[in-house]
Amino acid sequence: MSVEKQKALTLSLTGRILPHQTVSNYLWVMVLALGFASWEVVARLRLLPSSNLPAFSSVLVIFLFSVQQPAFLLRIAHSFLNLLCGLILAFSVALPTAFVAGSKNPFDMTLTPLVMIFGALPDLSFLPLLVLWFGAGDTACVIMASVAAFFPIYFTVREGTKSIPRELYDVTAVFKSNKLSTFTKMVLPSISPHLFSGLRLAYDFDWEIIIAIEIATRVAGIGNFIEGKVSSGSLAQGFAAIMAIALLAVAVDKTFFGTLESWSKKWS
Amino acid sequence: MMKKHLELDSVTKYYAGQQKQLHALHEVSFDIDHGEFVSIVGPSGCGKSTLLKIIAGLDSPSSGEVRVRGNPVHGPHSKISMVFQSFGLFPWRTVIENVEYGLEMRNVPREERREIASRHLDMVGLGGYDQMYPKQLSGGMKQRVGIARALAVDPEVVLMDEAFSAIDEVTAEVLREEVTSIHNHTGKTFVLVTHNLPEAIELADKVVVLSSRPAKVKRIFNVDLNRPRDRAHEVFIHMHRDILHLLKEELENSLLRHKLRGVKELSNLHDMEDHALEG
Repeated sequence: MSVEKQKALTLSLTGRILPHQTVSNYLWVMVLALGFASWEVVARLRLLPSSNLPAFSSVLVIFLFSVQQPAFLLRIAHSFLNLLCGLILAFSVALPTAFVAGSKNPFDMTLTPLVMIFGALPDLSFLPLLVLWFGAGDTACVIMASVAAFFPIYFTVREGTKSIPRELYDVTAVFKSNKLSTFTKMVLPSISPHLFSGLRLAYDFDWEIIIAIEIATRVAGIGNFIEGKVSSGSLAQGFAAIMAIALLAVAVDKTFFGTLESWSKKWS
Repeated sequence: MMKKHLELDSVTKYYAGQQKQLHALHEVSFDIDHGEFVSIVGPSGCGKSTLLKIIAGLDSPSSGEVRVRGNPVHGPHSKISMVFQSFGLFPWRTVIENVEYGLEMRNVPREERREIASRHLDMVGLGGYDQMYPKQLSGGMKQRVGIARALAVDPEVVLMDEAFSAIDEVTAEVLREEVTSIHNHTGKTFVLVTHNLPEAIELADKVVVLSSRPAKVKRIFNVDLNRPRDRAHEVFIHMHRDILHLLKEELENSLLRHKLRGVKELSNLHDMEDHALEG
């Protein structure tokens, strides 16, 4: 689309001329709106049975009602808390391990092949063992989430550590920086773009893992809620819960990770 | 005041290679006086930067020692600062935060280090750029930040590792003039490693010429020319020619040594083949 046409389209949609980049920035909103509209049309025309696909407008009404219910919000909070605990656990193990692997070659040559072997296994294959050892509850959920989050954090931090220029270590040495200062004031900022990517990936993986575990083990989170509603035929409530997860995931992504990313974009 | 500021006493360096040891420096000895500007030149890969790292305390000699005011250097020294070839700036820190870094490591209070950093930024002509990030600066400006950072900690000795090689010639010329002026004003001792002969002669009171690996001191030239120096001056031209001649000679010797080593290895190979055939 030419710049003039984009400007004309923006003018027709908003009533004022915006820079043409603004249209591209919000193209995803238009695509999403188009998707919801198509969903509404398919459901209203009964192209699919209503028992399989409730109308978007019905789901939206139930969603708006559900997000005012404390029990519903508690379910989401439960899942989010498990995810957060898993992520923090993975972060606290993967960050120092990956840093040592990235900076000490013999350690890297020993550890990384083992991490790769475990990383190649499907994460959920560990689940029956975790349930056996820890029972079908939050502990298994958190450990599973931390296992899934470990790999993206480990590999991105290791790569980030390897890419720190030797000269920066010399700078810290010349100015007599101690080990802690070198780590906090040089290594951590240096690897931060890699670390943020790893955390973002881990966060996305963990939502999938948490929902899957809750469905499989009946842990009382939002995944278990969706499974319950779908199997009892309350499809609209199931869709509303999915919508809530999506909104939460996007909100965290845009606010937390977006802030980190805009900080690193300022200088990188 | 003691005249000798830095003493290099039989500094020798070996690196452990995968198959054999690499002999980088061989009994390098020379002295540097207080406030002197010394350039170190030598064939490519001879170990100039290794020597500078040993002076900085970033590397240790296999034998021999470096002394500052008569005290042996064991690790980085608070009186020695360094300017790096690729600037060594922290990209996530603003210009002023980069200059403050050394002071921060010495626990200088925030207000005071900001004042010192601002003063040094003004000195290198970067006043007003303090809130910019390194990615927003040209190569020459980045090196000015590197120089300001090195000077902000008030060192007695400033080491410069090919400090002008990563920037364009016109900017490098301006920076060289500024470094000369800083040297005159501060009276600090400067040690510059460079492969640029005119630069070495233009800046230094003394040019140390190293041989090819393992590096030894081939000859030391005293530059008795008034500043600012004219590159077209007869003494300058003669000195440039003499150093160049020495370096060419070194390069030829080095190639010859390599060829001889090749011939020796070939002869060893023939011997081995003969033994094998006899066996």
